[in-house]
Amino acid sequence: MDIIGPVLVAGLTTGALYALATLGLSLVWGALGMLNMAHGAMLTLGGYAAFSAVRTLGLPPALGVVAAAAAGVAAGALIHLLVASPLARRSPETFQTTIMIATFGVAIALENAILTVYGGQPFGQPVALRGFARVGPVTAPWQNLLIMGVALALMGAVALYLTRTRGGRAIRAVSQNREAAELLGVSSQGVYLRVLALSGGLAGVCGVMVSSITQLSPTLGGDPMLKAFIMCVVAGLGNIPGAIAASFGLAIVEAFVQYLAGARWGFPTLLAIVILVLVWRPNGLFGRAQVQRL
Amino acid sequence: MRDAATSAPALSVEGLASGYAGRNVLTGLGFEVPKGGCVTIVGPNGHGKTTLLRTISGLLRARAGRVRIDGRDVTGLAPNRIAAAGVAHVPQGDLLFPQMTVAENLLMGAYLETDAGEIARRLAYVYGLLPKLAERRDQIAASLSGGERRMAGIGRGLMMGADLLLIDEPSLGLAPIIIEQIYGVIGALKAEGRSILLVEENPARVADLADAIHLLDNGALVWSGAPQELLARDELLATYLGG
Repeated sequence: MDIIGPVLVAGLTTGALYALATLGLSLVWGALGMLNMAHGAMLTLGGYAAFSAVRTLGLPPALGVVAAAAAGVAAGALIHLLVASPLARRSPETFQTTIMIATFGVAIALENAILTVYGGQPFGQPVALRGFARVGPVTAPWQNLLIMGVALALMGAVALYLTRTRGGRAIRAVSQNREAAELLGVSSQGVYLRVLALSGGLAGVCGVMVSSITQLSPTLGGDPMLKAFIMCVVAGLGNIPGAIAASFGLAIVEAFVQYLAGARWGFPTLLAIVILVLVWRPNGLFGRAQVQRL
Repeated sequence: MRDAATSAPALSVEGLASGYAGRNVLTGLGFEVPKGGCVTIVGPNGHGKTTLLRTISGLLRARAGRVRIDGRDVTGLAPNRIAAAGVAHVPQGDLLFPQMTVAENLLMGAYLETDAGEIARRLAYVYGLLPKLAERRDQIAASLSGGERRMAGIGRGLMMGADLLLIDEPSLGLAPIIIEQIYGVIGALKAEGRSILLVEENPARVADLADAIHLLDNGALVWSGAPQELLARDELLATYLGG
């Protein structure tokens, strides 16, 4: 069965992308109790920022990735300062609902801004490796290996940040008990700003990676964000390690279903799994009962 | 200890009013905690004891009145700024970070301290005072027993290095033998010269500890005096504390 190798490579690549998209979404949900509907638009923004940095400014591809991260960080920080923070202050009781609608509006605005600036025609992402690598019996595109490497490196870096540094511990503390963290001197607003900026940066890089194996279009981030929601829900909202495990597991399932039954069966299968998981465990596979925050 | 030379009390509360959404819980009360003193607030449940501590530490915004720490006006500041002014609030029900280890919970207590040597010194001090926490240091907080959780809450507060401790019902829901241990620790903290504001339901528990007791009823202080005096006043105990 020489086909198992390529299907597995495809599954692991999409898994890495889902995991990266999910990581940012899950961090924000865990800390702020907020579903950031603009997460996909931040992916798109990152993809285009890298494109402009390389094509228009003539920067090397590595700096294109940095530009994507910077654009995402800026977008995340602005979403906190201009949208999330005022909404949380004015109506903390309705925050979970209003922030979804507000960030959905941000997503539409960002998408249309990109459409206005770049037009609707798709572009190829210049930040991409060409050629194939042979790993034992399996042939894998270098770009797919790069995606897996970047995703693993970023996930590792985020894990180290959250567990080994003072700032990362503060993020976990606010996620687990905001009032207790504030009583110990943590500024929850500062944590929210950092989390949204971090999630924006991750989304920006993820956008570059997604567009490197598909293409750049203003709706680029929509599909990864939808999948990221699915991973979050399957794993239990706010559970980051669970969401990453779900990303890889479900992406591999999706890849094999697409190979065996046809591409159009991939997404329905994912949705069926979500429904079954929620019927069986309403808080997700690894979820605990949800706590109302903010 | 911090600003020991100044003569201002560790905590001074004046005309404090606060509450939740349209309902005033505290209706203008005032008292002081002298440096190194232990002041206890007693009173029936639901009459504002926890609200008082939450207002002092900034979790609730004061609607009127002033709160001063070491003479410094902190009224209206965010809780993280009031913490930085030198207040360690050990909240009711511990509010530990359930998915963090005991050691991580304690490190969060020293969040505002950046000197690694000082953090290590405080950690050694807390483990010395509460040896159970040293045994449990790598366990996640959610797996602790009720008494251990209370110890961890106090330990985390002590990691802040503050001289003023606000401790909310440390005996709540614990077995008598554990309550005795907890009050032993609080007594040791007082002996070290810390200033303590303690909320407690049962005045008999603080008879040997508190320098002054205030009886809080319906959002106001209705009686103040020494613990032994209160314990001798059967009519007060019967009216307010159901004893």
